This record gives sequence, C-alpha cells and structure tokens, in this order.
Amino acid sequence: MNNPRNDRYRHQILRIIVYAVFGFFALTAGYLQLIEGNSYIDKAENNYIRYIITYPPRGEVFDRNGEYLIQNKVVYDLMVVPREASRKGIDTVRLATITNEPMKRLKRSLNEARRSWRTASPVVKYLSAESKLKMDEWNLPGFYTVPRTVRQYPRRIGGNLLGSLSEVSQNFLAKYNEDGYYSIRDYIGEQGIESAYEKELRGEKGRIRRNLYADHSTTDEVEKEPVAGKNLISSIDARLQAFAEELMKDKIGSVVAIEPETGEILVMASSPTFDPNELVISRERGNNYMRLLNEPRRPLFNRAVTSPQPPGSTFKLLNGLIGLQEGVLKPHYKYSCNRGYRAGNIKMGCHEHRSPLDLDYAIATSCNAYFCNVYRNILENKKYESPKQGYEAWRNYVEQFGFGVKLGTDIPGERRGTLMHREYYDKLYRRSWNALTVLSVSIGQGEILATTLQLANFAAIIANRGYYYTPHIIKAIEGQDSIDIKYRTPHYTSIDRRHFETIIKGMWRGVNRDGTCQTAKLPGLDVCGKTGTAQNPLGDDHSTFISFAPRNNPKIAIAVYVEHGVWGATAAVPIASLIEEMYLTDTITRPWLIEHVKNLNLDYSIYDRHRKKK
Amino acid sequence: MALFSGVDWWTVLLYVALTLIGFTAVFSASYVEDSQNFWSFSHEYIKHIFWLGLSYFTGLIILLLDRSSWHKWAYIICVITLFIVLMTFTPLGKTVNGARAWLGLGGFTLQPMELAKVGISLAVARLMSLYGFSVQRASDLMKVMAILVVPMGIAVLQNDTGSGLVFCSFIFMLFREGLNYWICVPLIFLVALLILSFLLTPGVLLIALILIFTFCAGMLMRNRWKACINYIVSLFLVSTLLFILLVVVMGKSLNYYDCLLFTTAASLLVVIVYAYRANIRSIYLLILFFFVSIICLPTSDMVFHHLKPHQQNRIRTFLGQVDDKDLLYNVNQSKIAIGSGGFSGKGFLQGSQIRYGLVPEKHTDFIFCTIGEEFGFLGALVLFSCFAMLILRLMRMGDRQLETFGRVYCYCVASILFFHCCINIGMTMGIVPVMGIPLPFISYGGSSLLGFSILVFIAIALDASPTKHQSTLRKW
Repeated sequence: MNNPRNDRYRHQILRIIVYAVFGFFALTAGYLQLIEGNSYIDKAENNYIRYIITYPPRGEVFDRNGEYLIQNKVVYDLMVVPREASRKGIDTVRLATITNEPMKRLKRSLNEARRSWRTASPVVKYLSAESKLKMDEWNLPGFYTVPRTVRQYPRRIGGNLLGSLSEVSQNFLAKYNEDGYYSIRDYIGEQGIESAYEKELRGEKGRIRRNLYADHSTTDEVEKEPVAGKNLISSIDARLQAFAEELMKDKIGSVVAIEPETGEILVMASSPTFDPNELVISRERGNNYMRLLNEPRRPLFNRAVTSPQPPGSTFKLLNGLIGLQEGVLKPHYKYSCNRGYRAGNIKMGCHEHRSPLDLDYAIATSCNAYFCNVYRNILENKKYESPKQGYEAWRNYVEQFGFGVKLGTDIPGERRGTLMHREYYDKLYRRSWNALTVLSVSIGQGEILATTLQLANFAAIIANRGYYYTPHIIKAIEGQDSIDIKYRTPHYTSIDRRHFETIIKGMWRGVNRDGTCQTAKLPGLDVCGKTGTAQNPLGDDHSTFISFAPRNNPKIAIAVYVEHGVWGATAAVPIASLIEEMYLTDTITRPWLIEHVKNLNLDYSIYDRHRKKK
Repeated sequence: MALFSGVDWWTVLLYVALTLIGFTAVFSASYVEDSQNFWSFSHEYIKHIFWLGLSYFTGLIILLLDRSSWHKWAYIICVITLFIVLMTFTPLGKTVNGARAWLGLGGFTLQPMELAKVGISLAVARLMSLYGFSVQRASDLMKVMAILVVPMGIAVLQNDTGSGLVFCSFIFMLFREGLNYWICVPLIFLVALLILSFLLTPGVLLIALILIFTFCAGMLMRNRWKACINYIVSLFLVSTLLFILLVVVMGKSLNYYDCLLFTTAASLLVVIVYAYRANIRSIYLLILFFFVSIICLPTSDMVFHHLKPHQQNRIRTFLGQVDDKDLLYNVNQSKIAIGSGGFSGKGFLQGSQIRYGLVPEKHTDFIFCTIGEEFGFLGALVLFSCFAMLILRLMRMGDRQLETFGRVYCYCVASILFFHCCINIGMTMGIVPVMGIPLPFISYGGSSLLGFSILVFIAIALDASPTKHQSTLRKW
C-alpha cells in the first residue's frame, strides 16, 4: 500500500466496480427493452395517438300524442388550453361578465386548468348560445367553445317519471359497468324513463383516432361513427299527466292510470313532484338535487311505484272475487251489519247503512262487516283442513292479481308491497292463529300493502274481466316493430269472467246509484269504482279510489292514492273522476270540482314534523 | 510524427466514436422535419457541429502543447477556472432552469463548472503528487477535501447541486491512491443507512443495526459467538420485559422501539466493561460507530427536510414514495422511450417519444432516451461498451504512468466520467434520482462537450509524454 503503483488489488476492485455498474445498466436496459418492451411500446403508442370519443345525440321522448316529453338542447362548454392562452394574461372581468360566472369560481377553474398545461380543460360549463356568440366575437386566444347537448323537458312535468341525466358515478363504474361502455364523466340516465330505456336512448359512442405530431398539428381518422340514440314514444298522455299533477298539487300521494286493453300507463303522477328541468345537467344541478333530496316531503320519490300503502276498502273487491270463485259467496248472500262486525273479542266497526245487505250493496256502500264474513268464509272453507290452508289458497289468488310481487313494469324502483306468507303468521302466533287473527286483511288493512301501480293494475284486471298486461310506459321504440314481448303477453287470473261482472255491478252501483263514490258519476260513461279509506296511526286516513270507465269496453283504469286525504270520497274520488272525464271527453264539465280538489286543505304536519326533528 | 508520438489511439478512437454517437443522437433529438432552413444556426444540431469542431480543435491544440507543463500550470489553471465559475455571480451570469450556473457570452452560454472540473482535477493531481503525500494521513486527506469543497460549495450556491455532487466521485480516485478501507466501509455503510432510513421504519432499522453490529463484534472476537447470541437474546428479552412492565405498572405504553433503544443504550455500559476485562479493544470503535449510526438516523431526516422541495420530490420519487403523476412524468416518459425501443430500436428519426416531444430535455440530460428508443438494446449496449472501455482505458493509462501526477489525473478523469455515466444513464432508466447532469460527449451542450474533451485530451497528452511513459522508460 505504500507504493500505490503496485497495488494491483485496488485497481482490480475498481475495474470490477466499473464492469458491474455497466453490466447492471445493460441488464436494466435489457429488462426495460426486451422483457417489458411490449408494454412500453403500447404506452408509447398511447402517447402520440389519442382516441377521441364522439357522442351521439341522445334519443328524444314523445308522449302518446306526439308531443315532446324530453327534448335535446345545445349548450356550450368554454375550454382553455393554458399553453396558448396565458402569454398575455386574461381579462377575467370581461370573461366573468360574458359567461355570468362568479369571479371566484372562474379564477378557481382557471387555476385548475393551468395544471394541465397542454391539454384543454373546461373553464365554464353549460354556456348559453348567447354567451357563446359573445365569446366567438371576442376570439380570445386559447379559449374555444365545444357544443354539447343537454336535456330539456318542455312540459315541465313528471320529474321522477321522466328521470334525468347525471354523470356516471364511481360506484357504478366499479360495479355495474360490465360491458365497459361507460367511462368517467359520461352521462347516464337516472330514474324514470331516462334510466329504464338508457340502452335505447344513449345510442353508441363513436371513436376518432387522432395522430398527434410534434408541431402540435393533428390528423383525424374516424374509426367508428356514433350511432344516434333511438327516439321513444311513451304511453304517457302529457296533457293528462299535467292535469293529474295539477290536481295532486299540495297533496302527497300518486295517481296511476292505465289503458286496460294494452297495459299502457297513461298517467303516473307522484306528488309532490318537481320540474325535471331543475335536474338537467347544469351548473345548478348539484344544488337543486341536494335541495330536492332533503325536502321533507321527498319529491324525488316516485310514490306510484316505491311507496306501498294499505289499499283499504278497495281490497274488498278482491275478497269478493275470491269468495265468489271459491263458492263460499253468492251474490244474493245477505249478512247483517250492526255498525260493525263482532266475533269473540274482535270488533270491526262500520258506518251506518241498511242492514242486512247483499253483495251488490255491500260493495257500493263498502260494508266492513259483510267482507269480514266473506273473508272468514274463504279461510274457513270446508275444502281445506284449516284456515291456514285456506289462507294459502287465498294468498295464491291475491298474488295472481299482482299484489305482493313486482309487476315487472319498466319504471325503475318498483317495490312489491306486502303480502304475508303463511309462515310469517305461523312464526308470529306460534302456529295458533285463525281467520279472526288476520281479519283486518279482509278490508285491506294490516299486513297488506300495495303500490298505486298495483292498485291501478287491479282496476285494469277488473276492467278486463280477469287478465292484465304488465303496465308499461313505452309505446314504441324508433326502428323496432314492437315493444318487448313481456308487455304484450296477457296474464290471466284464475277467476271466472262472470264473477267479475258481479263485482262490476256493485262498483257501478257505488258510483251511479247509492254508493260511496257518487261524485265520480259521469253521465253516459258508466264509471265503475270503489273507494278506500285506510286507517293509519300517524294522521288522517288515507284516501284512495280505484275506478275504470266506461263499464263496457273500458278505456281507462285508474287508481288514486292521497295520503291523509280523510275519506275516499274526499280527495281521491274527485281527482280520479276529473282525470277520467278529461281523458274520455276532453272537456271538464265540473269546474267547481277542480276548485274543490285544489282547495282541499289536508293536514300533512306529520311530514313537516320530520324536518324539525332533524 | 513527433506531434502524435505516444498518443493512445484507442482512447482517441473511443472519444471520436462517442462524440459521433452523440452527434447522431443530438441530431435526431433536435431535427425538425419540415423546418424551412436545414442549416439554420438556430438548430441544436448545427450548434453541436460547431462545438464538436471546437472540441476537436482544442484537443489538437492540447496535443501540440508542451506535455510536461501541465504539472507546472495546474494551480493557475484551477484558480482561473474557479474564477470563471465565480463570474456567474456577476451580472454576466444567467439563470437557466433555476440554476445560476451559466455565463452569457454573446450568443452563447457557457457552463463554467464543466471547465472547473479540469482545473480541480489538475490541482488535486498536483497536490497529491507532492513528495511525501499520503492519502492515509488525515492532514493530507484534509487538503484534498479542502480543494474539493470549494467547487462543491459554489455549486450549491449556484443552486446546481448535481454538478457539485460530481466531485464526490473523487473518492473513486482516492481509493485507488490507497484510501484506508476503514474510511470506505463506514462511508458506504452510512450512505446505505441514509437511504434505508427513508424506506424502513426506525424500529426495523434499529433491530437491523443491532444485529449487524453484534455480528461484526462476533467477527472481531472470533470464538465468542456464544456471548454475542446471548447478548442479543438478553437484549430482546429485557426490552420486551420493560415494554410489558411499563404497560402493567405505569399503565401507559411506551413504544417498543423506545424500550429497545433504552435497553441497548444501558447494555452498552456492560459491553464496555466486558470488553475492557476481556481486553478486546476493537469493540470500542464499534460502539462509537453504533452511536454515530443511531444519531445519524434523525439527522438524515433533518437534512432531508432542509433540502429544496424539488430535491425532496426527486428523492421521494426515486424511493417510490410518491405516486403523483406530475412528479413521475419525466422518468415515466423516459422509461417509456427506452422500453419501447425494444431490441433493435425504432430506427433513426423514427422514435415517437422523441419526435412528439414527450421526453423532457431530450437533447440534453435525457439524451440516452433517444439512443434507447431509436437504436434499441443494441444501441444501448454499444454505448455502454464505449463508455466502459473509455473509462477502463483511462484507468489503464493512469496505471501505466510513472509519475503520481499523471496517474492521479487520469483517475480523476475516469472518476468524473464514471460518475456522470452512472447518474445520467441510471436516471433515465429510473434507478437513480433525477439530477441535472449531462451524459459526457453525448448530451447537447457546448461547455460540457468542450470540458470533457479537454479532460480527456490532457489525459492523452500526459499519457503520451515521452519522458513519463512506462514503455519509453523500458527502452532506456
């Protein structure tokens, strides 16, 4: 070591280090270029080829009379490429006045845009055509506008029926995006028709291959043309829908009207509702959405399908039908009613009317005692070993009418309501129960809940004398000969046609002679109907009415449900009657009835109390 | 011809090959397809031709000069070059990319630190060729350090830390000159510790340290392995006991790391007594070093936090502790460029990453990407072998020098080249943190090309000096 010149050992070490380092570099280069090479080639390609997605126009939706329900409108996004813009500084004050954007927000989005120096980022979204023209006139370097279509709802009706568009959520992308069609920032239908017919409405995205060159010039090749979304014709009658919503204003509940011979939904009004234009993709959408979401009366909730309620006396019709079919009830059977039904400890009150009475009048006047007897007879039928088996048989009939199951309509968010299995009672009462235990079901109270759609469908079944088509809001899809087969297949119930006639007779009498719903009488139209008044522990009784008209060859079946509407005849009957009249005759002969409906002052303090609790 | 007598033609050949590869790469990186004027002086490749010519010319001049006078002029050249470096702080200085390391001379800019490398190398060689100089003597080593600290300090002031770090590479040369192993090993150890302190938790690091040092102690004490194992076991037992006791008695928990630290510190007293009685002196040094390492851990953290944010980010990016796309962008694009080259590359002027301007600094610091992408694995191998051969050649030239001055100088040049290659190539492939230093002979940049040419040609000149050549000596 004293003579470093001869220290071969040390310079060998240094040589080895040099060899090792360059050897390691060679290995690393080999790894990058030979082993990982292909993946890097892909990445390099992505670097100079950009695929640009072109969006097709979304399909528009018309009502059954050809009126626009959902329309497209062009708005503009203001984009900026900071690299080209920032040289001279921007007159932000002028920009803010032209775009109507608050200064603070404008500055924030400009700062955000500066992060991606070379690429265009949006500064102000959803500019009106007017602002766009002003921007074009100004011709600010680096700034340009991009057109895009947004939805527009000219009639301002059916917020939760028509639905809206929203940016596809992270959650959706992660879980449901199976075909990989959606990518981040795409729009997707949310709720209502927009969601139900998303696939038809959206069309197919196109793709452009853009080659980028070093001097920032580009060439485009169209790889795939976008396919425009299909237009839809909905079965909704826009005029009727608007009328129904007007009548339901300030009430909570829903109206569903169905054309019985096709199952097409004419009206599906849920109240309170909102203007769907509020949820159009815009700068205000988020705020509006949160406001609607937090409103105590829940306007975003499509009550017609998502809110099962006790059907009340309307359910008596079904019990009558089953009784007739099972042979335990004949139209001439008479039962007495002394202001109610008593058996053992059970007591079911009733209002005052003639007694004893037959089926016809029992339907018309909605006698509780009569149907308690009917229901008891169904369950205690000698055919079956026990009332429990009788219950099973009864339940089977009820299910055929679409209660307790999902109807399979195209409106999203449908709930099935409540219809208990025998096992439920077995468990609840430890196997010791009988017809009296579940007696409240006979009058549509207790363990039976149905959505308004199910009630309307029930009305349609009666109108059809025993069958129904799955209710749907689609009438035709552009470019398709017919709608889905499942909306064109009738579902039959196992109840004979003649029994329906019997029941209809009672319903006709209730409206036209001496029943509970004489307000619904329309001269010459032979309206048939049945009221319901469902008790509930929270406030006034729910008011409900199912009806169809005319009696022969019915054109419309309708169910109205007004929560806390006091009596069936108070709120639901006039609303249904007015809608029927409007639909069948195109005129309103009873303006005073509209006034009556509008001036109903129903007590919804129960809903508004919720807000105070929060 | 007397002019070229004794010139090592292999070195010259390698030099020319590398500069030509460099020109090809710079041309490819800066060529613009539809430029109006191919010969316009605004193109980097045209400027590069000029610098190339100047470098060759300077090399020729150096060979013409008196080959024995470098020794004489070494200090003066050093002072002059450092003076030029200091000029950057005058209004003549220019700031490029945040580093005030440039001089504006008319239309050209010059990075004088590249020239200072020549001066410093000559000065260090001169110092170490003094009669009686020994690297193993601390005072002599300090003198070398004193010379090196000057340019490093200036580089830090210029905000050009990368260039300053180049002088660390002199340890390569010092090792050749007989630097004590006992300085090398702890240095390497401390550097490793510094890096590991980012990657490992302090607890794991402490345990690793204890195990390493006990192992070293075992090595030193030869046949006392049993004692070492006993020591480790008892250390962990006692600290675990302490840990549990603290929880049970005091009801609050001290973390295990602190317990272990405490126990270890306490046990060292016992170790010292044991070492004293068993008369094992070397243990003291080990204990001292252990303390230094433990103190070093928080210090490294502190130093790190005093670095500039961009430096912190570069280090954190390299250590894989950042996944910010913007920070990773440069290295990612560079790796994509190299990786997409494949075996034989995309062909001259065909590299998309380069053509589309996706690689940053493609003609200067990231020039290797151009070679990797357009000439692929083969091109990279050729480049690596040229560099390795040149560096080995320089080392060999150093080894066959009779005078210390020449040997030290050649090794200085080899060290600088080696360091530049390691950092630059490693950085483009993502195995070394990003530092803005050029790839010798390849990167575009007049001052670096000129500087490296001068470095190499002085080495060739010294090697060719007839009085100092081993083979000539043999003839006598």
